[in-house]
Amino acid sequence: MSFSRRNFLIATGVAAAGTTVLSACGGSGGGSSSNDKVPSVSGAKTMNIPVGTKADSTGPAPEVPGAVKGGTIYSLDQFDMDHLDPAQIYVSTEGAITRPILRGLTGYKIDDKGGCTLIGDVATDAGTMKDGGKTWSFTIKDGIKWEDGADLSMDDVRHTFERLFASFVTEGPRYVQQWLVGGDKYKGPYSGKSLDSIEIDGKTITFHLTEARADFNYTLGMPGYGLVPKKHDTKEQYDKRPFALGPYKIGDRKIGKSLTYVRNEHWDPKTDAMRNAYPDKYLFQFGYETVASTDRYIADKGNDQYTMSIFNEVAPERTQQVLTNATLKKRVLTQVDTVTYYWPINMTRIKDVKVRQAINWAWPHQQLQTIRGGKATSELASTILSPVTPGYEHFDLYGVETKPGGDPAKAKALLKEAGKVGQKLVIAYQQSDNAVKQAVAIKNALEAAGFKVVNKQVDKTTFYTQIGKIDNGYDLFAAGWSPDWPNGYSVFFPCWSGKNIGDGRSNYAQLNDPTVNKAIDQASTIADTKAANKAWGAIDKQIMELAAVVPDYHSIRNWMYGSKVGNVVYDAGNTCVALCKLYVKK
Amino acid sequence: MPRFLVRRVLGALVILLIISAVTFWLFYAVPRDPATMSCGKNCTPDMLAQIRHNLGIDHPIPVQYWEWLKGVFVGRDYAGFGHCNAPCLGYSFANRQPVLGTILDRLPLTLSLAFGSAVVFLVFGIGTGMMAAVKQGKWQDKVASSASLVASSMQIYFVGYLAMYLLVAKLDILDNPSYTPLTDDPVGWASGLMLPWLVLSLIWTANYTRMTRSQLVETLSEDYVRTARAKGLSRRNVFFRFAWRGAMGPIVTIFGIDLATLIGGAIITESVFSLQGVGRLALSSVDKSDLPMLLGVTVLSAGAIVFFNIIVDAVYALIDPRIRLA
Repeated sequence: MSFSRRNFLIATGVAAAGTTVLSACGGSGGGSSSNDKVPSVSGAKTMNIPVGTKADSTGPAPEVPGAVKGGTIYSLDQFDMDHLDPAQIYVSTEGAITRPILRGLTGYKIDDKGGCTLIGDVATDAGTMKDGGKTWSFTIKDGIKWEDGADLSMDDVRHTFERLFASFVTEGPRYVQQWLVGGDKYKGPYSGKSLDSIEIDGKTITFHLTEARADFNYTLGMPGYGLVPKKHDTKEQYDKRPFALGPYKIGDRKIGKSLTYVRNEHWDPKTDAMRNAYPDKYLFQFGYETVASTDRYIADKGNDQYTMSIFNEVAPERTQQVLTNATLKKRVLTQVDTVTYYWPINMTRIKDVKVRQAINWAWPHQQLQTIRGGKATSELASTILSPVTPGYEHFDLYGVETKPGGDPAKAKALLKEAGKVGQKLVIAYQQSDNAVKQAVAIKNALEAAGFKVVNKQVDKTTFYTQIGKIDNGYDLFAAGWSPDWPNGYSVFFPCWSGKNIGDGRSNYAQLNDPTVNKAIDQASTIADTKAANKAWGAIDKQIMELAAVVPDYHSIRNWMYGSKVGNVVYDAGNTCVALCKLYVKK
Repeated sequence: MPRFLVRRVLGALVILLIISAVTFWLFYAVPRDPATMSCGKNCTPDMLAQIRHNLGIDHPIPVQYWEWLKGVFVGRDYAGFGHCNAPCLGYSFANRQPVLGTILDRLPLTLSLAFGSAVVFLVFGIGTGMMAAVKQGKWQDKVASSASLVASSMQIYFVGYLAMYLLVAKLDILDNPSYTPLTDDPVGWASGLMLPWLVLSLIWTANYTRMTRSQLVETLSEDYVRTARAKGLSRRNVFFRFAWRGAMGPIVTIFGIDLATLIGGAIITESVFSLQGVGRLALSSVDKSDLPMLLGVTVLSAGAIVFFNIIVDAVYALIDPRIRLA
């Protein structure tokens, strides 16, 4: 996914294994530099998120040791949520904030070791696959009630998926709409028509897909497939006030200012293996810049002691102060990200693989890392997949680890072989302070390697529109992507398959290699998780051998919180703080 | 007076019409597509067309402007939202919320910030300026002039953060800035806005000190003031009956514009103190290319300036009987 704020969805990243998920607890003694304790992405162990059993899907959720009920958890965040209607949710923060109120067919259960399992949420398990993945069935649990006490009905479940085709649903994920048989012609349920590829039999719902999707149960774990009650579906207005199935419901909402959750007295913990519900209330507050929220966490006074953030991380201006102070660092949840930031190379303009390889060799990774704030905030990337994403295979084809400052000599030699010394490169970058500094560093490095660089500054609000055009006039541009669920499909298919070349599509490099296309199509059909992951890792290397992109870095995220917020752990499903695991310390 | 007011109000409407048209055109002059910004991850041409239809931007720009204008006076129908009653300013591109409702929701905070700080900077600014003028040349004048020069050189984003750190985090003298409606809790309302009032008014106080001093020094040297003194009137009488009224004209004029500007949104103050007023709304609507919201805030800000200009002109006549309105 692109990296405007609205697309900052890191929906289903994989948490590093327990030993490498670094929380603020048990921080180092005083005097250590921030670099000593920065979690290394490359040292993080990739964990496969397995599919859980029916027992795993059976509630209640395991108790958090030491947690007590009561109190209010507050939040300080910069932006309010534009959407609460699950069909319109694609941004990770909106997914995270709605976890306590919305439920879907499947979801991710966090264990106390930082691991994650895909289980049934309202479904009794994570689904049954038939026909090689073209048919999926889910049986709904008993005893699940909406916030008004009404039972979750099969009509509600069907309606949830049929309304995804309505004309007002334009911003959420499109996978289900693309894969359901007949979805290309269906216009939604509001005219009284149903979609035949969704079948109901008793308490079982069955989906018939146009293609084999061995990971469809993972797809349904996205927040965008949260359930919606047919009777209370207010269409466009549902975005303001969704109906709750989870342990909380909306108590109050002041758009742009605050959102309050209170307990949903009709939620039965025995039906929910994912969520705990310790606080009596959540009060999310918006409009706080990161510097303001970080300063308040540092001061830790009054209600700020019971406060955390969903979106706001430690402000860059305070990173050094916070991460080098042992006391403050204890209240920081540090987590490596699943996103990889990279620079696609326009394959329609830079056609010689040696030229593209030369760009990779010359790239000033280390200088760019310094500009971004050093090792505390990012780790250098040599692959498309993040090391914490299943399918990741370690390799370094262009000396990122051995020569992080770039190897201009090697790059120049490649250009000479190609007869392209002096090759002109037009590089697009967004208007921001950091982007400008990075553009200068990149220009200097590439010109030292024999390129001639022209930098073009592009307005950030139209950046992705412009680089998404087939004839964009650029050779390189900054982009990035993270998986929508933990495997390689939602990284490689949208961004590297020749089927996704077109204006507005995400294959910015316009890579259209037949062997890569075939490999992506084949990997998509592999049912065995391990085999599929191996295939995705091979595709990563294949694309890097073609040098279609320059991988840049993986983010390290730092969330600070108040001293009286307990059990601040990472939700790998939504790549944010796990709201449903928090409690208020007495 | 009535003829004056009618003429001015009609003129104000024309000005607002021009401003709204220019804002509309400027928005579309920049190559931004609100539909693309709203479109999800796997955007397709069909989806873009649907979004444009939902947002009402699938018509030529003059038609879109006409529809917007119609909505202000008689209401309009939207594809996704049904009928929007007049005065309809449309729906936000970003979050589909009604523009008028959103602005009205943010307005009380902005009004509180504007009027609260106005009280502070008027009282202290004019008071200090008066003292400096009366004590012209003496140490009181020199201290006031120097202090106002330093204060007017400061920036809110510097003073604000410093004040937050010292007065809130370190010394715990003031509360974290927040907004509580006056009708809910007057004490909470005041204590939550005290810090923004003080910071915002610091720079304006300095400006009004210098302006008041300068106007009064000039007025105090006028012939009619000298005549009044020569006729044996007391200093207090001379100052408040003659000099004061003569000096206030320009100050009233400037105050009208300053207050209107504050009502349009003290963007930096609201950002520094994380207050969700009209200023932050303007900033976010620019950032998100949210035309309806941007139009609404622009029209509000322009309307405030025009309105206060009319008030200032009317007040001017009260202060200075030499001014005729007709």
